[in-house]
Amino acid sequence: MSYRKMRALTALGGAAALIVALGACGGGGDDGGGDGKTLNVLIGANTQYPKEFQAWQTSISDKFKAQTGATVKFETFASANDELTKIQTSVVSGSGPDVYAVGTTLTPTAYSTGAFVKLGDAEWQKIGGKEKFVPATLGISGPDDSNQVGVPWVSRPFVMAYNTELLKAAGIAEPATTWDELGQQAKQMTKDGQYGLAVAYKDNFDPWKFVWGMSVQAGNPLVDGKTVKLQDPAVRKAFQTYFGWLTTDKVVDPASIGWSNSQAIAEFAKGRTGYVALTSATGAKALDEGAVKDKWSFALLPTVPPGATTRPANGVDAASILSGDNVLVADYSDHKDLAFQFVKLITDQEAQLEYYKAVGNLPANAAALQSLQSEEKLGPVAEAAQKSVATPFTGAWADIQLAMTNVVVQTIPDLSAGAVSDAKLDERLATAQKAAQSSLDRAK
Amino acid sequence: MADEGATTLRGTGTTTRRGKGVTEQQRPLWLLTPGGLLMIVIIIIPLLLACYIALIDLDQYTLRRWLDAPFVGLDNFVEAFRSSLPHSMWISVSFAVISTIATVPFGVAAAIATQNTFRGRGLVRAIFLIPYVLPSFVVATVWRTMLQPDGIVNTLLSKAGVDGGLWLSGPKSYWTLILVEIWAAWPFIYLMALAGLQSVDGEVHEASAIDGADWWPKLTQVILPYLRGPVLLACLLATLSHINNFSLPFVLFGAPAPDSVNVMPMLVYVTSFQSLRFGLSAAMAIVSLLIIAIPLFAYLRALRLDVHEDGAKR
Repeated sequence: MSYRKMRALTALGGAAALIVALGACGGGGDDGGGDGKTLNVLIGANTQYPKEFQAWQTSISDKFKAQTGATVKFETFASANDELTKIQTSVVSGSGPDVYAVGTTLTPTAYSTGAFVKLGDAEWQKIGGKEKFVPATLGISGPDDSNQVGVPWVSRPFVMAYNTELLKAAGIAEPATTWDELGQQAKQMTKDGQYGLAVAYKDNFDPWKFVWGMSVQAGNPLVDGKTVKLQDPAVRKAFQTYFGWLTTDKVVDPASIGWSNSQAIAEFAKGRTGYVALTSATGAKALDEGAVKDKWSFALLPTVPPGATTRPANGVDAASILSGDNVLVADYSDHKDLAFQFVKLITDQEAQLEYYKAVGNLPANAAALQSLQSEEKLGPVAEAAQKSVATPFTGAWADIQLAMTNVVVQTIPDLSAGAVSDAKLDERLATAQKAAQSSLDRAK
Repeated sequence: MADEGATTLRGTGTTTRRGKGVTEQQRPLWLLTPGGLLMIVIIIIPLLLACYIALIDLDQYTLRRWLDAPFVGLDNFVEAFRSSLPHSMWISVSFAVISTIATVPFGVAAAIATQNTFRGRGLVRAIFLIPYVLPSFVVATVWRTMLQPDGIVNTLLSKAGVDGGLWLSGPKSYWTLILVEIWAAWPFIYLMALAGLQSVDGEVHEASAIDGADWWPKLTQVILPYLRGPVLLACLLATLSHINNFSLPFVLFGAPAPDSVNVMPMLVYVTSFQSLRFGLSAAMAIVSLLIIAIPLFAYLRALRLDVHEDGAKR
């Protein structure tokens, strides 16, 4: 054999070995276990209750195996961004998890990729029918009733938590139902190292939820057809109120400009704050472990916009964004039937209550939620679940919420200095409007 | 490489017998095949794909059938330059250059200080390397915790009567990024300078001692010239690494980041994975690559990576 031939053969062998090795790196696949099928499920990691979450996974896997003979393989992601990356790579490659648990506000983005099974009557029947869900939770399953991809799985409506002792000591009989009242009550409680409100200004998700809530209550849902309405008096007033708690009302700890949501809850748990302005049922365990144990309660977020005593005619009675997780079945999945069986299992009453007990996420299943109504403290949360309103269903929503969060991120130095000028706020709102509108213009 | 090899062979007057069996002089270039294949799979193909993606309108709506995404020519580049890319370029380049310049004195001084044997030198050298071996996100997480408005740094500063203010938001965040980068990156300069010092011949020290050179002239006229090559190379590599650093600003400031620290990798990340504008972000990434390639190319042409000989000649 000539040297040239030998060299060519060796190179070929090397290449083949490389390809085999690379192929091995890709590994995985759907085979193995039970009747030979494996269902891959992508789900958000629960850092708050990791042990309980793990136990729930095992329990569901066992049940699914008993029912179908197939194995469930859970894969977790740490953040919405991680999940989005996973969705993107799966969409491009046409392979990946069969079932995704997707946050409600991310559902429009997932829908816009066109990579998930649209739910017709047949699919809904497979999972037990639409009727088994709390009606409000279906609000962000798709752009309209005939184009739905998301099956409601859990509900995480936002509420406030308040310190019953501090409110009582300040002579406040009932928690606030309007934003102005909340500001007023917070002022009454702010004294001697004690603050009326805990707010997470540095959180990457909290700020826009306040702004959206106040705006939609004032009649501006932020997106009107093909127009974003961020340069709007209602939005401006919402930001001014949100910043004003720190700069003019001085009812929040100045350190809150560095807080994330969990830090704000931790501060409230120390027992020296009247309200924590945004939390959910999952916060209950943390509060019961703090100094506020037995001294706190949930309350609906105010539903009357700032500067008003009643909601205007076009205002929406929105107690919370429609928050929680939907489950979506990938269009490329080879195990769609199995996937829908899994979706049915985890949205049935028993599994929903089991998950609630494990990690504190409210059921999207109506009967399961109904059975929890009698639980102490959960009343306002269950009410918030029913009065949740979906954020606009557009693929541009991620950019719109990013633009609103960015207004707060860039304003933090002004908050620290103690004043946010109207000129600066307007300038930032103009930037946000431009970015959000440009994204909505591209929406298909 | 092949041309260089051929020139060398001709220069030595050796007869080349291409493809006629193995000779000692003939370089076994086929050994490059595995590395070359890996380069093609890991670098060349993704790079070509990035170039193609930069020319199409790829976003969440077209992702699923990405080969059918509309071709938009240079529109993504035009949009990139009309967006905040120029601002991010300025932030990235200035941050990288300042960080590099600031780390050199620390690195070189530490290398010189630990050159001579003393009791505990090994321990000191190991300690110097701690910031370098810590993963970037660990460094960023620890600093982020310390630099909170009510964190330990501000608490200590307030005890000294100084108002620390905001480290992680607003204009000061730029200097925070530089400070943390300096803390994490100076050991690299130290390592390279130390390697340069090891190459200084013992005879050089003896000769300067015989000449009666004092420590300062010895340092500036004898030792430092030896370090010029390695340290310059270290500066180049460090600058490129600063420009490309994503974990540090991302973990320190989160996304969206304050405008003052919206460095190029952050902008590309947000455009790609939050706004889902893959075409636009690919265009931004290619611009970043070009910015990095210019000084790299110029430097490599000038130095030809002949660090050791270059140092020794001076």
